[in-house]
Amino acid sequence: MTAPALEARDVRVAIGSKEILRGADLTLEAGRLVAVVGPNGAGKSTLVRTVAGIQRRTSGEVRWMGQELGELRGRRLARIRAFVPQRSAVPDGVTVTDAVGIGRSVHVGPLQRPTRHDRDAVAAAIERVGVGEFADRKLTTLSGGELQRVQIAVALAQDAPVLMADEPTSHLDLGATVSVAKLLRSLAADGLAVLLVAHDLSLAAAVADTVVVMSGGRSVAAAPPSEALTAERLAEVWGVDASLQGSAGGRTALHVDWLETSGLGIPN
Amino acid sequence: MVVRRTLVVVAAAAAALAAAAVSLALGAVDLPLSDVIDALTGSLGEGSTRQIVLELRLPRTVEAAAVGAALGVAGALLQGALGNPLASPDVIGVTGGAGFGAVLILIVFPGSIALLPVGALAFGLLAAGLVFAIAWVGPDAGGVGKLILAGIAVGALFGAGTTAVLTAYPDRVQSAIFFIAGGLSSDGWRELEIVWPYFAVGFVAAICLMRPLDRLALGDDVAASLGVRPRLIRLIAGVGAAFLAAAAAAIAGLLGFLGLVVPHVVRLAGGTSSHTFVVPVSAISGAALLMAGDTLARTVKAPIELPVGPFMVALGVPLFLLLLRRAV
Repeated sequence: MTAPALEARDVRVAIGSKEILRGADLTLEAGRLVAVVGPNGAGKSTLVRTVAGIQRRTSGEVRWMGQELGELRGRRLARIRAFVPQRSAVPDGVTVTDAVGIGRSVHVGPLQRPTRHDRDAVAAAIERVGVGEFADRKLTTLSGGELQRVQIAVALAQDAPVLMADEPTSHLDLGATVSVAKLLRSLAADGLAVLLVAHDLSLAAAVADTVVVMSGGRSVAAAPPSEALTAERLAEVWGVDASLQGSAGGRTALHVDWLETSGLGIPN
Repeated sequence: MVVRRTLVVVAAAAAALAAAAVSLALGAVDLPLSDVIDALTGSLGEGSTRQIVLELRLPRTVEAAAVGAALGVAGALLQGALGNPLASPDVIGVTGGAGFGAVLILIVFPGSIALLPVGALAFGLLAAGLVFAIAWVGPDAGGVGKLILAGIAVGALFGAGTTAVLTAYPDRVQSAIFFIAGGLSSDGWRELEIVWPYFAVGFVAAICLMRPLDRLALGDDVAASLGVRPRLIRLIAGVGAAFLAAAAAAIAGLLGFLGLVVPHVVRLAGGTSSHTFVVPVSAISGAALLMAGDTLARTVKAPIELPVGPFMVALGVPLFLLLLRRAV
């Protein structure tokens, strides 16, 4: 059996004296989509940023393709995993093609120019996320949903077998959210290992093969959506009276008792 | 797109060549271009023309080109590294520090006037060093906001020092005005001999940073995804820009505005923010602008030489505003 794309065990992170992760596990495999969910402050983003090598960890084991994260530097790591941040800068004067070209730069040596192969890869990434008609538009002229797809194209141009997206839909309207969800699902079908950090539990349940639930800096569950997001767990972790219903074809609904639950917070 | 960029490169290079030619030909004595070329190629015999071109105007023209290129590149590096369109050598404290160093020599130690470039260089680098030291400790070490705030604070500190020195010696203020306004002088290669290694380091750093800076354009997280260490890039860019700007101030006084405006003009004209375009074209354009401005400054009221700073602003601002009006 080959090593999973990512295997992270007992990851801990402290910033100053504040412990943010107190032991989180995460496994990613090719062709599968994992959703990381949890309340605000549970450590979702920190976990993903830490295994991606962006945030420094205090302890714990992180292996990409069987190799310890600490041994993977710069470009080598960039060719294994691509990270789509929650928000990225939208600089003036940069076109979609320019931006995606920046993603491709991990395959272009310091003194080389992009080859025809690189340009084709940029064009393919732009087509893959469905923004081909905007290829020459400036980033500043795009809508939130279009911009999010471009961010994913930037990551795809890295040509890495793992794609990690930190709350890619949190600023999007329903239509744009659905199209990003479909895109991520189809990328998993292409064989990528896809990780999605999400607030929207019905979205996570609809697209994920595995849902990892974070609570208080720990991963408290990693299971198929119907097992990970039981009514008991929703009450325990989010403090709400809610249940998740799913049916074939990726149709999900989160039934929340919005007003009757006394004294318990609701997720936002 | 490519056509437009090529046109901008050709236009900038043509402007630089024209400015160099005019700078060599015009002055207290106007020389025909053929004589200038003959003097440069060595086919002109000994004489005053040869002396004027090789010993007075050539060093001054080269200085103008080097200083203009250095400030243009310093601005491009800082604007790219800090992701902030307002960044210029002023922002990392270099201008304030160099101004203080120069005024200190000019006013407190006027007998050691030969140390002027050394004073400007040393205090310019000291100020930048302080800014980086403050910005790179504690939480959010190397963050953009922290760096800019530290730069403004340190700049204000040295600015206050400059004002204090000027008010303590009101009778000597006159001698410092030319430096503060920014201007070149015709005293041969002496200043370049002192500061060229700083230019060299700064330009080499700029060339090495062109690609990495592009990877910062989409933010630190995307840069990290691409395997770049944004804070390290920012530090190298800041140090390179500090070297360039401090060396420029040592030769030509406080011309920080050039560093702010040239990269913007280049980006707006070329329609791209790619540093493989912006950095070299800012160098060429900065050189062209300062050579042209310096020629104007010393010919318009000849034989009186006016400080180039205001002239360059007069040349640069209309062009900048024109491009800004048409920008998206």
